[in-house]
Amino acid sequence: MNPLLEVALRVFAALGLMLLNGVVLIYMLRKVLGRLHVRLGPTELGPAGMFQTLADVVKLLTKEDPTPTNVDRALYFLAPGIVFVPALLAYAALPFSGELVIADLDLGLLFTFAVVSLVPLGIVAAGWASANKWSLLGGMRSVAQQVSYEVPMLLAAVPPVMIAGSLKLSDIVRAQEPLWFWLPCLPAFVLFFIAGLVETNQTPFDLSEAESELVTGFATEYSSMKFGLLFLAEFSNIFVFASMVVTLFFGGWRLPFVPVDALGNFAAVVFVAKVYLVIAIMMWIRGTLPRVRIDQLLAFGWKVMLPVSLAWVMITGVALRLGGPLIRGAQ
Amino acid sequence: MPDVTHIADALSRADVVPETLESADGLGAVVRVASVDAAAALRALRESSHAYDYPVDVFGVDTGEGVDIVYHLRSLSHGEEVFVKTAYPYGGELTSVWELFPAALMPEREAAEMFGLTLSGHPNPKHLLLTSGIEPLLLKRVAIRTAGEVRNR
Amino acid sequence: MSDPRAQVEHAGWLSSVAPAQPSTRPVSAWGAVVGVDSLATDRLILNMGPQHPSTHGVLRVLLELDGEEVLAGEAVVGYLHRGIEKLAESRRYNAVGTLMDRGDYMSGIHNELAFALAAEKLAGIEVPRRASWLRVLMGEINRIASHLVWYGTMGLDAGAMGQFLYAVRDREVLLDILEDVTGQRMMFNYVRPGGVVADFTPTAEKKLRAFLETIDGYLDEHEALLGGNEIFQARLTGVGVIMKETALAFGLSGANLRASGVSFDVRKDLPYAAYDEMEFAVPVAREGDCFARYLVRMGELRQAVAIVRQCIDGLPEGEYTAKVPKVLRPPAGEAYASVESPRGELGVHIVSDGGPSPYRMRYKPPALYALQAGEAMLPGALIADVVVVLGSLDIVLGEIDR
Repeated sequence: MNPLLEVALRVFAALGLMLLNGVVLIYMLRKVLGRLHVRLGPTELGPAGMFQTLADVVKLLTKEDPTPTNVDRALYFLAPGIVFVPALLAYAALPFSGELVIADLDLGLLFTFAVVSLVPLGIVAAGWASANKWSLLGGMRSVAQQVSYEVPMLLAAVPPVMIAGSLKLSDIVRAQEPLWFWLPCLPAFVLFFIAGLVETNQTPFDLSEAESELVTGFATEYSSMKFGLLFLAEFSNIFVFASMVVTLFFGGWRLPFVPVDALGNFAAVVFVAKVYLVIAIMMWIRGTLPRVRIDQLLAFGWKVMLPVSLAWVMITGVALRLGGPLIRGAQ
Repeated sequence: MPDVTHIADALSRADVVPETLESADGLGAVVRVASVDAAAALRALRESSHAYDYPVDVFGVDTGEGVDIVYHLRSLSHGEEVFVKTAYPYGGELTSVWELFPAALMPEREAAEMFGLTLSGHPNPKHLLLTSGIEPLLLKRVAIRTAGEVRNR
Repeated sequence: MSDPRAQVEHAGWLSSVAPAQPSTRPVSAWGAVVGVDSLATDRLILNMGPQHPSTHGVLRVLLELDGEEVLAGEAVVGYLHRGIEKLAESRRYNAVGTLMDRGDYMSGIHNELAFALAAEKLAGIEVPRRASWLRVLMGEINRIASHLVWYGTMGLDAGAMGQFLYAVRDREVLLDILEDVTGQRMMFNYVRPGGVVADFTPTAEKKLRAFLETIDGYLDEHEALLGGNEIFQARLTGVGVIMKETALAFGLSGANLRASGVSFDVRKDLPYAAYDEMEFAVPVAREGDCFARYLVRMGELRQAVAIVRQCIDGLPEGEYTAKVPKVLRPPAGEAYASVESPRGELGVHIVSDGGPSPYRMRYKPPALYALQAGEAMLPGALIADVVVVLGSLDIVLGEIDR
């Protein structure tokens, strides 16, 4: 195949995946939250309301898109893009199965984190450009929380890397042959999950949107497809984060007691199913918990998350030094 | 009928001469004082032996000759109520008692705008409920339109 | 719109009411707070409302902010003013109830009851025993419904959405019961001078008994879900503190006052209707913060359920209304009657000149007093606290604006 065509196809695969994921997640969010909230969610359009999301896409695309008078125009139009593009890039290194990966980078883990950390840049740009105080506060909050939790998140991802001895995501999955890493890295997993909720702006850490406080935070002045892009990027980030949880701690495309060869092409299905299970748990949290306050969030980040994650990296290092083969298993 | 002698005592200690002091059925003690004495009377009542330290309400009544401002206080320790009334002429100057009872902050603004009084000594003497420019609504001379009048406007 | 600063030039006055928050940051010669790198920061004036999602109706709060910290806040009300007090002056006594319903729209029965009690006091009407019990019964059903909405919106304000829908699920049953008896779900027009307009219906009793079977379990669930949540506790504890003396001076009433350690409940201390025959406790807390208010209200929910149980089991036989002339002409005079509405002490002061409608009807709004106390709690809080403080005070703008 023409290498250029192949690259193009891969990019389109990522884009299609992202859009499809957005559609699926919106429907899932409505149904899961609906059930948690003793209501039904969408029921009218299509079987079990499945086409409601499509109708929403049409609505978002055809909606009038007013631009407020005092906005910083360049930044205002650019910001959804700045949020959207990294969210799209982050799909590149996700290992759906041993073969099915858009670009199996040697530094896959680092690449994913680096790309995802660009998202707050777009959010603060959106907040600043909107010329709206609510947006500005939302953008500022977003920067504060993402900067504070990026470090613990990265540190929490270090123990699996230390055990696997590679930053390549598919290698990390393969290293979980005897034992999924959530067990030997349990504290790291908990830290990673909490930090991930913060990074993806999920309840109880959805401070930059904070509907009851900041109206809609950084997205207040956005409507139509510009809002759609911000929204899509958020869902995409959730997917990426859940994929990282599955990859780092829950054996990626593998199933327990089933040899990987037996799965064959179903490996990717297993991976996606696991990812959606993690997302369902995130939605469960979203439907249950109230929101923390910004000072509590930051204090928790710097005073608890950071020291504990550092300590766990050290403990893992010492443990690997003393009993490496035991932990690494029969590799 | 509640006993009002302790109120008379408290007022006389503060050198406030009540215009009338009676005990009314269905209400409690009713004191009428001159408007200049209102704050002193309220302070005296708050510091009286029965400690009327709980402000229930502040409101106005258009009496036809002027505006009565009524301060409704309650003594939680004795379970007694006292209504301090003071008369203002139309368009008069209502002196705020918010330093005694911060509870009066908003009701005073309301009473002033509703009865066309000006507020003095108030930290924030703006309109509370009405848009500025609307006539003092609760004065008897201000008529409200009936539904028919609004329809045939 | 003109410069919003002009509108808040008085916002700073609150610092003389609330204890000043000592600032540890250096202040430059021209008064701006200066950071370590000499970057002068400006104060932000933020208009919260009237279309903000959690200002409980149409309240506008002007906030002066330093970052996220509130320096001063001013509540701007009046968007819902309908002139209920003025309108009452041109209505007959029997027709004022419809206006009262539209004051505090979350607890119509209590509003009507306050007016009916004052009118009865003035006209010297004896209310039949069954009517009094029905008033208590309906009032407490209304109180549970109102407190459930408060519980739900408290959750919403703190960022949890599920709780609101759970609360609304339970409230729906209560509104059905109220509708069954009164024909209306919110604007009941049920309590009139002399009694009530309709007897309790057998279907309503069946629904109520079924509700009483389930409500205890649901209340346990509510308490565990929201009050037992550590994030919720951390959000509410120590926020919006008002101590006993301040609470009294601000004229707080109801659960807000009881959360500051004052055990005053109109139902106990100035009993009206049939409350002297009921057995119930008055929950009191001492801390005076938002969580104390939460606890007191949750306790009140339980007590209201207990009162409803007593009422439905012990409802006396008899007439549900006294014989009252169609046009009530109370003698000239004044009367004040108050009830313990879910918001606090709701009073009605009627001045009569002997005519067929009140000469002056004063509606004492407990939520207005709560709001101005809330204003004084704002300096030093964060934006997120503003929402929680207003939520915990349980203000209803229909009542504040009247």
